[in-house]
Amino acid sequence: MSEKMKLKIGHLYPDLLNLYGDRGNIQCFRKRLEWRGIDAEVTAFVMGDQIDFSQLDIVLLGGGSDREQELVCDELLSISKEFRAYVADGGVVLAVCGGYQLLGDYYRTKEKKIQGLSVLDIYTEWEPTRLIRNIVLKSPLFQEPVVGFENHGGRTYIGSHTPLGKVIYGLGNTGKSGQEGVVYKNVIATYLHGPILPKNPHICDYLLLKALDRKYGVTKLEPLNDKLEQRANKVIYDRYQDKKYVLKETIKRYT
Amino acid sequence: MRIRTKLAIKCAQGVHGFILKMGRGSGVTLPGYIARLIDPKILSELSKEVKLQVFATLGTNGKTTTNNILYHTLKANGYQVISNRTGSNMLNGIISAFVLSADKNCRINADYACIEVDEVASVGVLPQIQPDITILTNISRDQLDRVGEVDLVFRKLQEAISKIKKTTLMINGDDVLSYVLALKSKQDFVTYGINEQVFPDAGRSEIRESIFCQMCGEKLSYQFYHYGQLGMYECGHCGLKRPEIHYEAKNIVIEEKRFAFDVRDIHINANASTSYNIYNTLAAFAGLHTAKVNLDKFPQMIEDFDFSNNRESHFMISGADVQLHLAKNPIGFQQKIAMILKDPNPKDIVILINDEYQDGEDVSWLWDVDFQYLAEEQTKEIMAVGTRKYDMCLRLKYEDIVCKPAASAREAVEKLVDHGTGNLYVITNYTGIYSTNAMLRKLEELRKGCQN
Repeated sequence: MSEKMKLKIGHLYPDLLNLYGDRGNIQCFRKRLEWRGIDAEVTAFVMGDQIDFSQLDIVLLGGGSDREQELVCDELLSISKEFRAYVADGGVVLAVCGGYQLLGDYYRTKEKKIQGLSVLDIYTEWEPTRLIRNIVLKSPLFQEPVVGFENHGGRTYIGSHTPLGKVIYGLGNTGKSGQEGVVYKNVIATYLHGPILPKNPHICDYLLLKALDRKYGVTKLEPLNDKLEQRANKVIYDRYQDKKYVLKETIKRYT
Repeated sequence: MRIRTKLAIKCAQGVHGFILKMGRGSGVTLPGYIARLIDPKILSELSKEVKLQVFATLGTNGKTTTNNILYHTLKANGYQVISNRTGSNMLNGIISAFVLSADKNCRINADYACIEVDEVASVGVLPQIQPDITILTNISRDQLDRVGEVDLVFRKLQEAISKIKKTTLMINGDDVLSYVLALKSKQDFVTYGINEQVFPDAGRSEIRESIFCQMCGEKLSYQFYHYGQLGMYECGHCGLKRPEIHYEAKNIVIEEKRFAFDVRDIHINANASTSYNIYNTLAAFAGLHTAKVNLDKFPQMIEDFDFSNNRESHFMISGADVQLHLAKNPIGFQQKIAMILKDPNPKDIVILINDEYQDGEDVSWLWDVDFQYLAEEQTKEIMAVGTRKYDMCLRLKYEDIVCKPAASAREAVEKLVDHGTGNLYVITNYTGIYSTNAMLRKLEELRKGCQN
């Protein structure tokens, strides 16, 4: 290919949805493209900006507090048709925490019901006990485990959707279902912070490849040296494979 | 005094003595717990015994420093003061501070109390101690895995402050969150702040709290930012804007290892390399001035004041200058980066990141710090240690900055002392600070021996 490839990444409302280091996901997309000689153009869309989804290859919707999510909600509803069309067309989306909840039909908080984008056939109910801890998943999409940190008051019911993975340690969508996240077309929606991508480069590359395939028909990515990424992932994975450690942590949590 | 209170004090003091004798820690939490078991009302009982006034200091960053300035100023004026200066700022630690100061007749004989209070503990503590002066330093993200989100911290503090019958609130007028909290609390409040843009660029992170108006939800417009969300703000929609500042720091001078400013015609000179201490000094000044404490000795006290709270120390190890600093949240870390960049000489850095409960189990905050500033000429080598060293290495890798993991803090320090620039910064989060301090002290001694 003579012309240099380039992906356009849309970061939706980073001024409101920027909890827990989620901008690290943007940095991860950007660097892993650049290290492969592919250009990355990141556009931050703030409230009031026009978003042309036909110009985007990857969309990131991060997490915010319940108050911030309410502020975003009206804005999102005004573009929900375009957003759904983008997803139907195979557009790549990573939605984290609050962003995950907003992709559903609604999020009922203590005080009110926040209307979602209805991209996914899921809904979220708030409960007073927040689900906060490290989390480890096994996903059929990847050989490597998925690790991150969850911190959410909402319980998300995913109906017949495919989860991102099975919870090996942690709580996940509802704290009880044993499942975490949703994979639908080229959308990955998850509660995992950390941020999720740097310690799970396989997820980053999975999404990049989907976007490159959609735009350029690329079917294979040049491998990168991911030793550090793998070690960071392994520290958390190994920790929760250790039954003694898990017991110790559980005792600490409840005393 | 109630017999029950006396019994609680005696038992708690006994436990404290026992812990010290056994050499098991400093014994600042358990006595408070015991005292509360025996007399659940002990804290409000003892707070009432304070003769003049009770100060409470709250907020994300700067509590300990501000509280220590209050303590030292009051002490310099010859008063008896109760304080939890060791930073044990949860309910039990605060009760301990009171019960351990009681004499053998269970009297506390204190003129003042100055108490630092943790955000989460504040709801339980403030209604009991009923502070006359409440200083709120600032509100930003810290240990979100403990509380959830900044909005929840805000609500906790608001609830706690609203439960005080009557207090005068000192707030940082440059912090929109603190200002809105003051408005909502219905308490009288006094503001302190800075009108000019004086802080270095590297201290400003892109990640900020509360870009949107807490009152109406519209986007706030800022004339400029100091750091974090602190700055000159205004809401074009509902008219919320930075309030008039009662205690303004003027003629600010920031140099590598000191800062100076004027407030109410008093000139302040401090020996601290971290310029955010201007706010802490100003907050304490505002509180003391409002409480009508004599401030003649304040400038001299500040000049001699150790701003490090035992969380910063300097060592000379085999001829290398080694400094230890604590950074436990994004704003704090960004300020340390600004401090490192003020140093024009070549340097190396060791960063220790743990994820124990006290540190915050979630280390994602590292991605809220703008580390790209460390991609500068004079920063030669960076190494990471701690339970989350690989997370730290990754964070820098994604800024194209090389950061190598090391097996232990000691290994990293020894390597950089022997083969580095001779100018080493060690930055650690909470649980690393004491062990690293001890390790560096030991290494300093050991290496002295080698040279002789």
